[in-house]
Amino acid sequence: MKVTFPHLGSMHIFCKAIAETAGIPYIVPPETSRKTLTLGVLHSNESICLPFKVILGNFIEALQMGADTIVMVGSGPPCRLGLYDLVQKVILEDMGLHYRWLTIPPRLTWQAVWKNHEETKELRKELSARNILLFPYGLWMGWKKMMACETLERLAMNVRPMEIKKGETQKRLKKALSWVDEAKTPKILEEAARKGKTFLQEMEQDRSRIPFKVAMVGELYTVMDPHINRGVEQKLGELGVEVTRTSWFSTHILRSLRKNKADRASERVRFFEASKAYLGYDVGAECNVSIGEAILRSKEGYDGVVHLMPFACMPETTASGILTKVGKDWDIPILTLILDEQEIEGRIQTLLEAFVEMLEWKRRAA
Amino acid sequence: MEEKGRLGIPRALMFYRYFPFWRTFFEKLGWRVVVSDRIRQKEKIVFFEDSCLPMKLLVTHAMQLKERVDHLFIPRLVSIHRTYIMCPKFRGAPDIVRLATERKASIIDETIDLRKGGSSLLQSFLKIGEKIGATRQESKNAFQEAEHSFSKFQKEWIDRINRLPTGQLFEMDIATPPAGRKAPLRVAFIGHPYNLFDIDINKDLLALAKSLGMEIIPSDFLSGKEIDREVSDLSKEIYWSSGREIVGSLFHFLSGGVDGVVFLTSFKCGIDALLQEFIKRRLKVRGGSSIPLLVLSFDEHTGREGLTTRLEAFQDVMEQRKGISNVKAQSSN
Repeated sequence: MKVTFPHLGSMHIFCKAIAETAGIPYIVPPETSRKTLTLGVLHSNESICLPFKVILGNFIEALQMGADTIVMVGSGPPCRLGLYDLVQKVILEDMGLHYRWLTIPPRLTWQAVWKNHEETKELRKELSARNILLFPYGLWMGWKKMMACETLERLAMNVRPMEIKKGETQKRLKKALSWVDEAKTPKILEEAARKGKTFLQEMEQDRSRIPFKVAMVGELYTVMDPHINRGVEQKLGELGVEVTRTSWFSTHILRSLRKNKADRASERVRFFEASKAYLGYDVGAECNVSIGEAILRSKEGYDGVVHLMPFACMPETTASGILTKVGKDWDIPILTLILDEQEIEGRIQTLLEAFVEMLEWKRRAA
Repeated sequence: MEEKGRLGIPRALMFYRYFPFWRTFFEKLGWRVVVSDRIRQKEKIVFFEDSCLPMKLLVTHAMQLKERVDHLFIPRLVSIHRTYIMCPKFRGAPDIVRLATERKASIIDETIDLRKGGSSLLQSFLKIGEKIGATRQESKNAFQEAEHSFSKFQKEWIDRINRLPTGQLFEMDIATPPAGRKAPLRVAFIGHPYNLFDIDINKDLLALAKSLGMEIIPSDFLSGKEIDREVSDLSKEIYWSSGREIVGSLFHFLSGGVDGVVFLTSFKCGIDALLQEFIKRRLKVRGGSSIPLLVLSFDEHTGREGLTTRLEAFQDVMEQRKGISNVKAQSSN
């Protein structure tokens, strides 16, 4: 048995840690590349959303490398994410690839536990008692690593606009994340996290700068994965913008565990409430949160909002229509970037440069 | 009865299924129902947001109507089935129209969510009645009349499609004409009701099909039970009611009973794009289908000429196949 999982930001560090700690053989799909995307595009059609294509590409590459068991997070209605597995399974079957599929339920309910029990019957035969015994420890290790990664990424978002040597933050962040990734024991992990933090903080910075504050909102996959959004977060940072986002791997995990009382999750509740002036119902996925966050960020004095969505994404299409109005009503610049498989990295760079220039004019006029 | 005012229904989206119901309900309550006119020219389409063509047409129709009526009726259709839901865009549709009309039009946007079960449809319509000043009893009576006229309309639905020009399908004062000559080809036309019956979307494909000798079988031809049977063995439940109807009817008709299947979709329709891939792949994995399938995708640039060519070619394919199987049947006798 060789387990594999899709890429989503630094989620592979989390998945890898679980498998490694529990001693389950795994294959991390190659880093999402042009080839991954081409494979995904080839085996779907133009109006299917970008995350579908990238995840499919990840799976194809991993299966070709010898993986045989796919682990995928499930989701529910109303957006298309909830039916990815139904369609991807038959596509892989049609391609003649062999796999076993395990869906992690989006909500921990009794039915979900039961269904999972059925699905994992076969798999458990291949797992040793040691694997199963160590699994909870693996989960804990994965979670710790995830939290360490997110802390580092947040820190990078803060220091990036101050960097003197362009690209230095990204270099340091990558290195720090790899330390976390490589840590084998909780003690080494703690050490790696601390070392990474100082490594980023010690970077040469121009502290006299007053960076623009921009919030990244939109569909979670396009917000969280730099391969999908062609590094919007990094590009903005290097243009002198302090970027914030509320979509993190941990936010969505906590949300599905219904831990809405947690600080970060309750922020989402606040956004949702704020969206009610424009939207009378929960459209689904991140739609309402995108709108509400744009409104509240404007109130909090942010300089702008970047709204990210995959082409033809159902909930975010509604959001983008409404956000045009929100931008006018609240006098906050909103840049919507619609992402698909086209080679648009250069165009995104130009758009972001123009956006930041506009923020500069706005600041000077004020 | 004295006229209470004018109530506008945009000729878009689920108008193409529920208009008979909606019209009766409001007329019984003493309102004059005004339906927007066809758009006809693509220059008139309002591009308020960048969605699928059916959604853009909803905004366009609402803009056209807003000056002429007291209220616009754009219900928030969350679910029209006990278990399954509508496309998420329907949930935001009234809000999009509200912003497009600069919040100046009065919009009746009561939520319809049949997942709540029991009498939730009646409850929604009681609230709608309340908003336009009707008493509970008046609304209840109007609702019953609406149900009655809707079921009557549905009985004649397939005949209307085949015997009336598409533009007159929802002209309820026009009676269904008697049966004419039987068409030589039986063809299933599958898709969302608005893709099937909105002439502004499909350039009156149905009229073209009828002129080529096709008998039309729409996607709401099968009963809910028959649809369920077709999609019951999937590894995951399709949770959009329209998606189930489309996948179920495609599986059903591609396994027999018709000479051909035409699948109509709108460009950028998320549900259709995903399920189309699923249907194609699954058919392939299961060894294919011998029934010809034509997939037509529409957007605001679709022209009638291209459609004509494709439908004529499709007719040739169906006739050829039918000819061959007829010859086979004769020779085996």
